[in-house]
Amino acid sequence: MLRQAILVPRIFSFLERSVLGSGERAGGLLAQETCKATCLLCGPQSSSIKRPLHTTVPRSKAEDRKEMLASMPKKDEGTEGEKTIDVDLLSKRFEDIFPDENTPSRLFDGIPYSQLNICDIKATKNNTIISLNDHKGKALMLRSCGMEGFKNTRQGTNIAAQATGISLAMRAIAKGFKDPVRVRVSGIGPGRMSAIKGLSMGGMNVVSITDSTRVSFAPTARARKQRRL
Amino acid sequence: MKLWIMRHASFIARTVLVQNGNVEQAVRLINRIMGREGFLEQYRLTRYYEKPYQTRRRINYTKCKAIYNEDMDRKIEFLLRKNRVEPYPGYC
Repeated sequence: MLRQAILVPRIFSFLERSVLGSGERAGGLLAQETCKATCLLCGPQSSSIKRPLHTTVPRSKAEDRKEMLASMPKKDEGTEGEKTIDVDLLSKRFEDIFPDENTPSRLFDGIPYSQLNICDIKATKNNTIISLNDHKGKALMLRSCGMEGFKNTRQGTNIAAQATGISLAMRAIAKGFKDPVRVRVSGIGPGRMSAIKGLSMGGMNVVSITDSTRVSFAPTARARKQRRL
Repeated sequence: MKLWIMRHASFIARTVLVQNGNVEQAVRLINRIMGREGFLEQYRLTRYYEKPYQTRRRINYTKCKAIYNEDMDRKIEFLLRKNRVEPYPGYC
């Protein structure tokens, strides 16, 4: 991070704030130029005032550091189109975010967590399929991007996934599945985030999000060969 | 024949509870954790078969990068040492 700070000059954007009369904080030549251009005391307009008077702007280290970090380039986390949040901000409420041994019996709208309906989202490169299942595994509803009217390439988009999510949520509520739902996402695709967003937009009460992407770090059966474009 | 064994306990591991109806924050959190722990990278690597020569190339590149980063961090830490009077007292 600091390496970038030394190489990229725009990191000092937060320092270029020059209030009338203060140019000390911005380094070297920049300070003098901005000062002489704008300052009443030592600029082109000054003729009578000889002694330069500079005051520093009251600033706080925390504010400046926040600004500097905000101006740094964003690190790529690996999921396309996703923004990141600072996990450390949530460190105070960790006990509420992750499940523990009491979570399966914890009540959500009067229903224990282990008996809530499950919403499985399969997000692939070309499509997103959302299905609503019983806690036992019995299938209740199934919607996919193709069923919403999107065909071929358009199925593999986040807009299609969001539409599917909204549609399933509205149909589920109409059929009577108003209970809170726990979501299980599988796969990396354009519809991964949008489908969940669509579900909540459609009126579904999403209680938890699980990731069940099938990943193996052990040697697996040989996958198909790479695509040569 | 069961090819996949779910090694993570269902709805206990890799799970994030939604707080105050803020679904988007929960999604971002789980994506961030999965990304940070290398699941998404591993998923992408295993989509297609990576030939042994490509694996060696990737691993060697990662090793070189790690060595470079370590030395650069040490250099920066060294260069930023200072032992002087605080030039802007009251700035904090």
